[in-house]
Amino acid sequence: MVNATLLDGLRPSDLDLIERGWSPYRLRTLERLLRSGAPREDWPESLHWDWSKKRADLRLLEASGFGIVCNEDWQGVLMTKTASHAARLPDDTGKPIVYVDYVEVAPWNWRIESLGQKSRFMAVGAVLMRTAIRQSLEEGFRARVGLHSLPQAEVFYRNTCGMTPLGRDDEKQNLLYFEFSSEQAKSFLDQGGAS
Amino acid sequence: MAQKRTMTLNLTKAEMEVLGDLAQRKDLSKTAVLRQALRLYQAVDERLADGGKLFFEDKESKKAEVVVL
Repeated sequence: MVNATLLDGLRPSDLDLIERGWSPYRLRTLERLLRSGAPREDWPESLHWDWSKKRADLRLLEASGFGIVCNEDWQGVLMTKTASHAARLPDDTGKPIVYVDYVEVAPWNWRIESLGQKSRFMAVGAVLMRTAIRQSLEEGFRARVGLHSLPQAEVFYRNTCGMTPLGRDDEKQNLLYFEFSSEQAKSFLDQGGAS
Repeated sequence: MAQKRTMTLNLTKAEMEVLGDLAQRKDLSKTAVLRQALRLYQAVDERLADGGKLFFEDKESKKAEVVVL
């Protein structure tokens, strides 16, 4: 267990800093994957992401950015939106949610089996998901949270978080949409203690 | 969450009724409804200012209707 700082209210310049810290590691990871001959489907799906390209989103009132800092490095980042998405679960349809637009852990926290790489810090993704739930509670959205999952993360949202899969979305690259009901979210929050 | 400031708002009876109805249907406080409205208005306005278009699609006919704000 290590102490880390959760920061909210990230600014566009923070995203530049994050990308500056992560992009060399992304590049090294890409080089190692190419050398190893690992099949493309085993490559981390966010390998090509660039947080600095998401800086414009933070101008919006509905957008919020959160980050975890530990050992002077950004360990994970979360960007949410609070107005442009609505709940889809039958009991909550049309009610506001915190929508997880982007969430990513630092490249050195990716577990890449074909490279034998293990996460430097565990549970960063879970802490960020609990942050989204807390934001939903603070907004008065009763812990409702939704997101579209990249295929490699589906198991995490389904089994670790306990979210409900609600089908693939042909308007969002056919990604599987997941949602936390209030009860599911509170149960996941309780599992995490203070994290 | 960011620090908040208080303001007084004057609304007509009809506006108050809509606000109350939305608050009930969306399971939100009236303040939260207005906050959501402002966020949405800004998000749409920014997209329109960037040259985007806003439209609603009919579920059955898939016919699109352009909305002007």
